[in-house]
Amino acid sequence: MRVRDLRVWYPVRRGFLRDFFGRSSAWLRAVDGVSFDLRRGEILCLVGESGCGKTTTGKALLRLVDANAGDVFFEMPDAEYGRDETLRTDGEAASNEVDELRRKFSLSWKESRKWTLRDFLGLIVALVTASFLAITVPALFVGFFSVETAMSGSWNILGFGLAVGFLLGFVASTQPARPRKRVAALLAFLAIVELAFAQVFAFAVSAQFHGVLPLDVAQIYGTLWSTDPFAMLLGYTFAPILAAGVANVVIGMRLQAEGRAGIVMRQLRRRLHLIFQDPYESLNPKQSVYEIVSEPLLVNRLATSPEETMARVGRALKDAGLYPPEEFLFRFPHELSGGQRQRVSIAAALVLEPDFIVADEPVSMLDVSIRTEILQLLLDLRRSRGLTYLFITHDLSLAWVIADRIAVMYLGKIVEVGTAEQVIASPQHPYTKALISVVPSPDPRKKAQRIILKGERPDPADIPTGCRFHPRCPVAFERCGWNADEVAEELQSLQAEGRLPGISSIRAVDPRTIRVEMAPGSPPDQAVAALGAAVVAEKDSRLAFRGISVIRPSDGFVDVVLHEWEEPELLDIGAGNAVACHLVTPAKTFEAVTAGAD
Amino acid sequence: MIHFTTEKGTVRAVEGASFDLEHGEALGLAGESGCGKTTTALALMRLLPGNGRIVSGSIRYNGRELTDASDATLRRIRWKEISIIFQGAMNSLNPVQRVGKQIAEPIVIHEGVDGDDARRRAEELLDLVGIPRSRIDNYPHEFSGGMRQRAMIAMALACNPKIVIADEPVTALDVMIQAQILELLERLERELDLSMILISHDLSVLAETTEKVTIMYAGKFVESGRTVDVLTDPKHPYAQGLVAAFPDIRGTRVMPESIPGAVPSLIEPPSGCVFHPRCKFAFDRCERQEPALDEVAPGRRAACFLYPTVTEVPPRTLLTPKP
Repeated sequence: MRVRDLRVWYPVRRGFLRDFFGRSSAWLRAVDGVSFDLRRGEILCLVGESGCGKTTTGKALLRLVDANAGDVFFEMPDAEYGRDETLRTDGEAASNEVDELRRKFSLSWKESRKWTLRDFLGLIVALVTASFLAITVPALFVGFFSVETAMSGSWNILGFGLAVGFLLGFVASTQPARPRKRVAALLAFLAIVELAFAQVFAFAVSAQFHGVLPLDVAQIYGTLWSTDPFAMLLGYTFAPILAAGVANVVIGMRLQAEGRAGIVMRQLRRRLHLIFQDPYESLNPKQSVYEIVSEPLLVNRLATSPEETMARVGRALKDAGLYPPEEFLFRFPHELSGGQRQRVSIAAALVLEPDFIVADEPVSMLDVSIRTEILQLLLDLRRSRGLTYLFITHDLSLAWVIADRIAVMYLGKIVEVGTAEQVIASPQHPYTKALISVVPSPDPRKKAQRIILKGERPDPADIPTGCRFHPRCPVAFERCGWNADEVAEELQSLQAEGRLPGISSIRAVDPRTIRVEMAPGSPPDQAVAALGAAVVAEKDSRLAFRGISVIRPSDGFVDVVLHEWEEPELLDIGAGNAVACHLVTPAKTFEAVTAGAD
Repeated sequence: MIHFTTEKGTVRAVEGASFDLEHGEALGLAGESGCGKTTTALALMRLLPGNGRIVSGSIRYNGRELTDASDATLRRIRWKEISIIFQGAMNSLNPVQRVGKQIAEPIVIHEGVDGDDARRRAEELLDLVGIPRSRIDNYPHEFSGGMRQRAMIAMALACNPKIVIADEPVTALDVMIQAQILELLERLERELDLSMILISHDLSVLAETTEKVTIMYAGKFVESGRTVDVLTDPKHPYAQGLVAAFPDIRGTRVMPESIPGAVPSLIEPPSGCVFHPRCKFAFDRCERQEPALDEVAPGRRAACFLYPTVTEVPPRTLLTPKP
């Protein structure tokens, strides 16, 4: 499995009117560009603080939440992947081929059909044809009969048309389990045939009932049209339009929501599974163990007979370490201990014999003495069945003992990934270093120098500029992403302490510039000197000052200009390790201006 | 000894709990869920629920007996002498009351000062625990988990207690916030000269913060001693199993061990030593007789027949101490 640049953003609602006028630009970026590879039989641990997007990533891999962008390639041959990589470098020109590949291999691919001119033309042709047929065909049929009107009255006609159209459109759009494109004209045609036949049928019934011989039908039809042309037109065009419209819209929505991937997913769901975090919450208390474990089989229609279901449930329970299975089959979750409950969740995941399991904090709710048994079970299953795990945990020491590779996430992005030894024993990213340093060790002799980060993680709806870790980073420097608001805030606090004489106001004018106004009668040079001195003196205690590039007078103000920044990318540093930090990865060219006075 | 009366019978929640807490000391109480840690702590403050009662034993604080103290005496001691940081900071604050008011409440009740003084004191307390004063009028839902825990700590310190009991103070917090809170507790202990009882299921947390530690199993104290000794060279087989069950990020990369079996019912505990059904060293005597918490080495106690009477039983290999 290869994950490339996966993004899950949630729109932040900011009130109806604001959403209505102008699209809401606020997004909660839960997962914001995550990429990693997962080889068969490997355990990758995703670690990070709560709210960093670990669980969302896990769910997005299984399409339990929809990704806004990015790909999850599953079982993609290397050659095809290589082709994808090269095609992507070609940019727009190869986008069709890239899309074709994504459609074929990416779990997160969503078919997004835009309305093209052809679609519009097709729809118009369909509607015209439908209207034409609607007017002529019934007349043809009705020509053979002659009855007092069975379908007279404008409201009758209108209502009948509406009902038929809606029914047909609805049936046509919901019937297939897998959405297929239906030509709108076909549906319209169906609607008309239906209408006409119904009409004829109604006439025939009416004729039988009244005992009148079918005679002058054409005349009746003519009268209908001449007395109620509006109703006839509406009734007979409404039906096909509605049928075509409803089907089109619903199918379109389904295509967008599921697309090809949705269809493939149904088969893949059997091979990709999730073990939930809390065994006390994730099991339905009203279902017995048998019901819980057999449900996936029934939903996927994989077992044909009750005997087979029972056999497979029994096997799954045995594999999950609930032995003998008969003893557990008809117990309810409240009759099980925490460890046994978690085994039931594992059995429910195993019953479909999956290849890939996302284990979301599978042991965090369990007591330590039984925790290892569950971990051992997961490891044994990997050995016996060649399972691949994405193991999501907040506990670094757990990741340390069970993971082949560890990926550390911060605010929706992976900041460091590598083998367990590399990440734990020689962390490169400052966040990883801090995180590891604060994990307590059960051995009191091994107290480490703790690097305690200040504050808490920022709001994912308001991600810091540049490197998203820089406001908490103890070693942040010039180009980590200090923006004018952050620096202005620090300058204002200095001013509040009375250390910036001769300055009346400080405000950010754009992301890289802060405008400083002098008190009346105070020369700009003095302000520049005061600012420079303060900034140099406080550079180590107020890291934001490191972002200052130039302090210069302009037009009676003093402008404080900041360094350029960019977000560090996750770059390979050799041996499968990758880190996203400007300190570790080679620097791009930046203007070499030191912070401080100019 | 603390028993709970339930419909199913008497739950022997805690039996034979005994420890000393010296001035300025941090004592850790470790064990798995349901082993009686919280019950012990609540009993110290005489806060047991209605169906629980202290059957026997004594709690002496500065020479005063607390087990039969009157409500008035207890009222003088609670919060002013001994206070508690309850488990689950998320849920222990009243969601419809401003945080400042909740912190000020014990000050008003116990020290008899007026609202303004209490509020000033609450502001100082917020400073002490590292919450900006401006947040005093916020509601708990406006606080993050870490801040709520800080507010709980501020509340526990409201009346300058001598002893603070912290019940799982960092459980359910992120590791970074956990480190911040632990550092705060350590700093407060140092600056305010507090004695602390720290309750946690996580031995690694206790390893970092306490000087002495006691390990509980099924309502019994099975081992106690200096934290360094107990966690590096545990004597009791349960303690050995528990210590080995924790992965060590600074140690070797080995799968932690597990203790087979499940925690016994406290209504019908096993005969003899409560741990013997799960113990790999168990022998016939463990089933018949209950071991006492005896001194096995200077300053160390363990409730296990393997130790004080080591000469009586055939020699056996003990678990090698964890490196």
